[in-house]
Amino acid sequence: MFFRIILESVVRNPRRKILASAVLILASAVAAAALTVALDEGTRLAQQFESFGANIEVTPQADTVPLEIGGLDTRPVTQGAYLKQANLGRLKRIFWRNNIKGFAPYLEVPVTIEGSSGPVATTLVGSWYKHAVPVAGQPAFVTGLEATSPWWRVKGNWFAGGAGRGTERGTEQCMVGRDLAHRLGIRPGQEITIKAGGETKSLLVTGVVTTGGSEDRALVGPLSLAQQLANRPGEYRRLEVTAVTKPEDAFGRQDPHTMTHAEYDRWYCSAYPSSIATQIQQVLPGSSARVVQRVAASEGQILGRVSALFWLITLGAMAAATLAIAAMAAASVIERRGEVALMKALGATSGLLASFFLAEQMAVAVLGGAVGFGLGTLLARGLGRLVFGVASSPQPLLLPIVLAIAAVVVAAGSLVPLRRMMRLDPAPILRGE
Amino acid sequence: MFWRVLERELRASRARLALALLVVLSGSAVVSAMLNLQLDIDGKLARMFRVFGANVVVTPAAGAGSLAVMDEAVWNRIAASRDPQIVGAAPYLYAVARIPSGSMDAIVAGTDLARARSLDSWWKINGNWPNAAGQALVGSRLARKLDLAPKSRFRVQYGGRSEDLVVAGLLTAGGHEDNQIFVNLRDAQQLAGLPRQISLVQISVAGSGHEIQTEISRLAVVLGGVSVRPIPEFTTGEAQLAEKIRSLVGATVGLILALTVLGVLASMAALATERRHDVGVMKAIGGPAPRIVRLFLAEVGLLAVGGALGGCALGFPISSWISQRAFGTSAGAEWQVVPLVAALMFGAALAGALPLRLLGRVRPAIILRGEGWSR
Repeated sequence: MFFRIILESVVRNPRRKILASAVLILASAVAAAALTVALDEGTRLAQQFESFGANIEVTPQADTVPLEIGGLDTRPVTQGAYLKQANLGRLKRIFWRNNIKGFAPYLEVPVTIEGSSGPVATTLVGSWYKHAVPVAGQPAFVTGLEATSPWWRVKGNWFAGGAGRGTERGTEQCMVGRDLAHRLGIRPGQEITIKAGGETKSLLVTGVVTTGGSEDRALVGPLSLAQQLANRPGEYRRLEVTAVTKPEDAFGRQDPHTMTHAEYDRWYCSAYPSSIATQIQQVLPGSSARVVQRVAASEGQILGRVSALFWLITLGAMAAATLAIAAMAAASVIERRGEVALMKALGATSGLLASFFLAEQMAVAVLGGAVGFGLGTLLARGLGRLVFGVASSPQPLLLPIVLAIAAVVVAAGSLVPLRRMMRLDPAPILRGE
Repeated sequence: MFWRVLERELRASRARLALALLVVLSGSAVVSAMLNLQLDIDGKLARMFRVFGANVVVTPAAGAGSLAVMDEAVWNRIAASRDPQIVGAAPYLYAVARIPSGSMDAIVAGTDLARARSLDSWWKINGNWPNAAGQALVGSRLARKLDLAPKSRFRVQYGGRSEDLVVAGLLTAGGHEDNQIFVNLRDAQQLAGLPRQISLVQISVAGSGHEIQTEISRLAVVLGGVSVRPIPEFTTGEAQLAEKIRSLVGATVGLILALTVLGVLASMAALATERRHDVGVMKAIGGPAPRIVRLFLAEVGLLAVGGALGGCALGFPISSWISQRAFGTSAGAEWQVVPLVAALMFGAALAGALPLRLLGRVRPAIILRGEGWSR
C-alpha cells in the first residue's frame, strides 16, 4: 500500500515532477562536474607547466664553473667534465619514469663562421630535436628540444640528423639564431662554412630560430655535429629535463639529509622536483642534478593558489546546488497541501504522512542524483577536453557523495514545510480557504 | 488600491514569500560572488604569475655582443616609472673576474640587491642578504668549488683592479645564478671600471599576452636605442596557463549561474501556482485580468530586485574572502555585477511566473470550484 501510493503519485502526476526533477538533476550534475574538475585540475594544470621548460638541470659533478653570460657556455671544449650520452636511457627506468616528459642534452662548441666580411666568433649549440633514445627492455623514447623547449619558433625547418651517430651522408644541417642571422644576413637554404679547432665544415641552414634566450646569438645543430666538432663522441655537458612534478609543499622543501627513515621513504616516493632530481643523479654516474627553482618553486605557489581558488568555487557550486535542491523540495511539499489535508482528514498520523512524503522525495532524490551524476561526469569530460584537450577521468567515488548530498538536502528542505503542514487544521484547507 | 492589495498579498503569504526571498537572496549571493570573482580574474592571474619574476629583458641594441653595456640612465627611467604594469625590475652588470684563491674565473653580477630579491622570489639563501657595500651573495655551486661559507672573505680581480668581498649568504636557484657572484651594482661598476654602465635590465610585467606585448613596444619607444624583448618561455607559458584557468573558472561559474537561475525559477513557479486561487477570486469579483497580472508581477519584481540587492551585499564579502584565500589580495567590488544580478533574478522570477500569463484566459468558476487549471 505504502509503495503503491508513492508509485502512483510519481506515475500519475508526471508534470508536477518535471521541474522538480530537472532542478535536482541539474544540481547534482553541477555538483558532480565541479567536484570532478576540482579533483582532476591539479594534475592537469601541473602538466601545463611543461611549457615553462625544464625544471631539472643536470651537469657533471666534477665540472669547472661555466662562464655563462646570458646563458651561453663560453668555455673551450678542453676544459671541464662531460657526461655519457649512452646512459640517458636510464632516465626512463627510474621510479618516476612516467613523470619524465622529455629531456635534451646540450653540448656547446665555440666556432667561427666564415662570413663575407671576415670570421665571426659564435657558439654552436648541439642538441636533439626528436631523438629516439634506446631504453632497456622498453620501446625507444623519442625526445629532444621539441619536448623541453616548446616555445622556440623556427622560420624554415628544424635541423635533421638527430638520428644518432653522425654518419649521415650529405651536408650536415643547422639552424641560425635570429640575431646572428640578422647580423650576417643568413637565410634558410643557404650554406655556411664554420671552423672549429682546425676543422672546417660546410653546413646547410634549414631555419632561423627565435628563442628569446642566448640561442638567438648562436647556431643550433644536431648533438652529433657538436660532438664531432668538439671531438667528444657520445658526450654532452648539460642535460635539461622536463618532469611533471608534485608542487613543492612544506614537506617537499625539507632537506632530505635531515629526514627520518620513514620521512625519507615518503619523500623519495613523492614526485617532488627534488626527489626526481635525486633519482636522476643516482642513475647518471658522475652527474649533479639540480632543481630549477624559478620553475619549480613558482609552480608550487601557483598551483597552490589555483587549487584553493577551484575548491572555493566548487564550494560555491555546492552552495548553489544545495540551494536549488532545498528550494525545489520545499516548493514541492507546499504544492501538495491539499493532499496532506485529505490524508490527515482520512486519519493518517503525522508520522505516516511524513514518511510518505519523505520516501517519495527520497526516490526522486536518488533517481535525480544518479542521472545528474552521469550528466555531470559527461559535463566534466567535455570541460576537460575543451580546456586541456584531454577528457577528465570519471570519479566513481563521487557518486555516493552526490547521492548523499541530494538525499540529505532534499530531506532537510522538505522537513521544515512538512512540519508546518502537520500542524495545520485540515478542514480550512479542504474547504479551499 | 493597487499598493494596498499588493501589501495585503505580501502579508498574507508570508511563509511562501520568506522562502522565495531566501532563495533569491542566497542565489544572488552565490552568483554575485562568482561573477565578481570572474570579472577580475584576469588581473588576479596576471599578478599571480609574477612569482615567476622577470618576463621582459632590456639589453643594449640588438646585434651587439653579449658583453655590451648601456648607460645606467635606462635603468633610472625604468625605476622611476610609476607604470602599474611594471611589478618589479632589477639592473645587472656582468663582468668575468679572476678569483685568485681558486685560480679560476667567475662571473660577477652587480645588481640592486633589494630589487633583485623581490623580483626573484624563488632564490633560496643560506645566510643573509648583503646589506652593505663589499658584501656578496655567492652561488652555491661556485661556493663549493671555492670552499666558501657565509662570513668568509675572498678577493676578485678584474683588469688591474681588485676588490675584497665578504660572503653574506649562499644562493641556490638551480640555474646559472648558482655559478655567479652577486654584489652591489656600484661595487661591480667600480671593479669592471665601467662607471654608470649596465649590461641589462630585467623587468616583471603584469598583464595578458597582448598587454605585455603592448608594454614592450611602449618601453622600446620610451627608452629608445635599446632592445626590449620578452622571455618567451614565460610570456607564452603564462598566457597559455592563464587561458586554461580562466576558461575553467568561467565554465564553472556559468554552470553555477544556470543552476541558481533554475532554482529561483522553480520556487517562483511554486509561488505562482499558489496564487492562482487569488486570481480566480479577483477575477470573479470583476478585477480586470491585466491588472491582476500586473499585481503579481509587481510582487515578483519587488522580491527579485530586493533579494538581488541583499544578495550582492552578501556576495561581495564572500568573493573578497575567496580572493583573499586564493590570491592573498581582496577583490574590489565590480559594481556592474549588481544590475546584472538584479536583471538575472528578475528574469528568472518572471520566467518562473510565466504560467500566470495564462491567467488572462482563466475561467474563475473552474478555479473556484477547485478543479485546478482549465483544461
